[in-house]
Amino acid sequence: MLEAFEILTTSGVVLWSKAYAPVGAHVINSLINDVFIEEKVVPQNETAGGVSPAYKKEKYTLKWKRVKEFDLIFVAVYQSLLHLGWIDKLLENISTIFIDLYKDQVKGNRVRIQTYRFDQYFEQQVRELEDNTGGFVEEHVPETGEKKDPLVSSDNGGPPPPPVPGLVKAQPRAALAGATSDEGTPPATPEISRSSTPQGHLLTAKAGPGGRGSRRSRKAANSSANASSGDEVRKGKSAKTPVKKMRRWDASGMADEDDGEILDYSAPAEGEAAAPAVEAVSEGDWGRRTGKGQFVLKELGEEVQSILDQADAEKSKGTTSSGVVGSGFNAIGGFFRNIVGGKVLTESDLEKPLKAMEDHLLKKNVAREAAVRLCEGVKREMIGKKTGNFQSTDAALHVAMESSLRKILTPTSSLDLLREINAVVAPTTKQQAPRPYVMSIVGVNGVGKSTNLSKICYFLLQNKYRVLIAACDTFRSGAVEQLRVHADRLKELSVRENAGDVEIYQKGYGKDAANVAKDAVDYAAANKFDVVLIDTAGRRHNDQRLMSSLEKFAKFANPDKIFMVGEALVGTDSVMQARNFNQAFGTGRNLDGFIISKCDTVGDMVGTLVSMVHATGIPIVFLGVGQHYGDLRGLSVPWAVSLLMK
Amino acid sequence: MSSQANWNSVTGIATLLFDGNLVAIAIAILFTFGVPIALHILFFQTVASPPSSNFLLLGPSGAGKTAFTTLLEAKSSLASNKSHSTHTSQQSTLVTVTLPPTVPTGSNRYRSVNDPSLKEATRNPIKYRIKDTPGHGKLRASQGISELQTMTQSKDIKTRLRGVVFMVDTAALVDEATLRDTATYLHDVLLFLQKRAKNGSSSKRTTEVPVLVAANKQDLFTALPPGAVKEKLEAEIDRIRKSKTKGLLDASADTELEDEEEILGNDEQEAFSFKLLEHEVGVKVDVVGGAVKGDLQEEFGSGVRRWEEWVGMCL
Repeated sequence: MLEAFEILTTSGVVLWSKAYAPVGAHVINSLINDVFIEEKVVPQNETAGGVSPAYKKEKYTLKWKRVKEFDLIFVAVYQSLLHLGWIDKLLENISTIFIDLYKDQVKGNRVRIQTYRFDQYFEQQVRELEDNTGGFVEEHVPETGEKKDPLVSSDNGGPPPPPVPGLVKAQPRAALAGATSDEGTPPATPEISRSSTPQGHLLTAKAGPGGRGSRRSRKAANSSANASSGDEVRKGKSAKTPVKKMRRWDASGMADEDDGEILDYSAPAEGEAAAPAVEAVSEGDWGRRTGKGQFVLKELGEEVQSILDQADAEKSKGTTSSGVVGSGFNAIGGFFRNIVGGKVLTESDLEKPLKAMEDHLLKKNVAREAAVRLCEGVKREMIGKKTGNFQSTDAALHVAMESSLRKILTPTSSLDLLREINAVVAPTTKQQAPRPYVMSIVGVNGVGKSTNLSKICYFLLQNKYRVLIAACDTFRSGAVEQLRVHADRLKELSVRENAGDVEIYQKGYGKDAANVAKDAVDYAAANKFDVVLIDTAGRRHNDQRLMSSLEKFAKFANPDKIFMVGEALVGTDSVMQARNFNQAFGTGRNLDGFIISKCDTVGDMVGTLVSMVHATGIPIVFLGVGQHYGDLRGLSVPWAVSLLMK
Repeated sequence: MSSQANWNSVTGIATLLFDGNLVAIAIAILFTFGVPIALHILFFQTVASPPSSNFLLLGPSGAGKTAFTTLLEAKSSLASNKSHSTHTSQQSTLVTVTLPPTVPTGSNRYRSVNDPSLKEATRNPIKYRIKDTPGHGKLRASQGISELQTMTQSKDIKTRLRGVVFMVDTAALVDEATLRDTATYLHDVLLFLQKRAKNGSSSKRTTEVPVLVAANKQDLFTALPPGAVKEKLEAEIDRIRKSKTKGLLDASADTELEDEEEILGNDEQEAFSFKLLEHEVGVKVDVVGGAVKGDLQEEFGSGVRRWEEWVGMCL
């Protein structure tokens, strides 16, 4: 069963929602965060075959449909255990109906305060799709009851009809009329009168003989179109549900109670203005007669169906509309629009510039996979958008790509390493005991793990930390000695610069790296070191045997931060490197950041940055830009983007 | 009568016009009534009421920015007394809202007690615009800070910024990570305002943009009082400031000309406080408590009353 359905705008406001079971707001929030903002989850085949993309969170599956033109998102939430095949269809239909009904309101600036009476349509759709037989004939009665009142009010010229969702034709106008009158005359709004009038009183009055009598007299006077109105009201009453108990009842109730008086005081200008909207609806439009002469209202389903059919027809018309003259005119118009701007972009417009953009990114050493994904994302964003004044398609694309790159590279939370170390080493609250901050560095062979580790060490030493370097590369000969040389140099430097203190922890070769790391952390805690830097052996990312030992390592040493070093020189392989290392630490533990080394050797071809972040969504913490200890830099997003777009 | 032939000569056209022709009459009527209306639309509506007071709503995700905006919107419209529920925003929105007539404005100081415009406030409430920005970490730079940049630097009086409302979730501030995140964002905002104040003072006088730290969710049991919020934020900003001075340079620092890294509040020795910032730079920061949800009194939306008063004082 469906758990919830929400219609929200991209600015974060829920326009309409329906919950069958309480679903926490965090479920949809995480959908927005993961899919729309961070783009962690790639929506596959979003447009293919009308299948909406799915996203799983906790026990729920979320399916959504995004309507770019109106900045709306339709989200359906249901239990993952159930396989509801009709959700796609529901999303499709609901979005079509909603937009058809509220096109004007959604475009206006009162979108967010408007109340959308959409429940009926939604329920009808769910019912129809759920049993797929059109079995809503039985539930027909409450609907007629509800839709009856415009009839009553229009024939006695009573108060303006409230926006009844039942009437497709009259509804948008009626709703608008309601909205404007709301603003103008607050005390006379139907909303307030609804809340102040007790329901029970109306119902009893209706059942009473006076009410019936008056109706009978009116029946005689009026045409037989309303002959059955009284019956229907009663029928509707017997079948009423809490949802149906809306002010419609009170409108008709008032009219029933005593015609003459009501007529007098509810006929001011307002009522007159709104009334024609209803009267204009011809009989055939919203109802038909049965054999017995009973007036039966057109079913909601039919109306909904007509909306959907209309949309389908338009869609097919859009695809087939052609002809020599038409296409020629379009081509000329398109040409001018390309110069002047204000052109609505289609897939074919974007094909060529996007290919060029992709080639450009590939030239910048962005991995093909990442480049394709970026372009897909931009394409999805751009289709259906209008270019600005005097903006060519290329320029629009350029802007979109730039913002897309910026969004990818910007980290979700700030990366102030010193601040984090301080929080662990010297906690502000009493509950936490101070402990050393543990960082470890992993990566493929020869990317510069030890070099970058010593650079970080130098940076920490300058901030007067006591650093312990743990040599956990117990495999490659000379690795420990290499690290010892670094440590000795750094020690000398720090003495000269009056900086922090550094020491090396090593247990020789052949031992299990995870155990050495654990011992090193214990040793650091005992000897009051602030930071532990763990160097690991280089390993090929597609070697299962080597990679499997990382899980144990992560469990034993339990580092606060695991950084992966990747070189800027690597091309397409960067995606797989990042992905494999990210998954190597077991469930619940991921990489915390990338260090991109050798950035000075590639010039402006810094595509590796994008590839790695794109593959994992993990931010870049440091860049290695030279041979010296001081050549370590933080990432500047504008700098990287400008290099990439150059 | 062959009117077609007369189009060639001037007199012919004149004759036609003075003929009492139906078309001519219609055109004349259209002109006489249409032109004044067109002029009115053209000039009056653009000049008459420019809602030139803009406020920017910043803050981390989940603090209640969009909820605040929708609440104000619902309050300004008389029709609906219920604000919509909200989710994480992806786009910023600009909405025009009205100040309740009971809230005094800052410009009242310059008015006489008998100023008729004071009495008119109930009928013609003051309008201002508020821009809601997304607070997600990835969107801050592109939509929050850059928005601040464009709004403060624009010459156009219509888009000029009157104040910044920085929304803070006081219930979540106990958590170390949230506090750090919030303080970092606030630090960035204040640093930008400080830079602006410094650069502006040399060339031309610019008015400082005041900042309101809106301590939201005071209705929750775990919420910190505004005073504690202020202390926590000051202490955290102080720590951030210290670590910023010691941190690594950006990769862009090599290529560009040396841009002096600035420290918030100038004085490195003294501990950071909002008062110090006001004293040194002139950027005023107020911390005021309130609650978007869960009204303190019976009245709808009374929890944000004090923030509205702050907004009123900026007008």
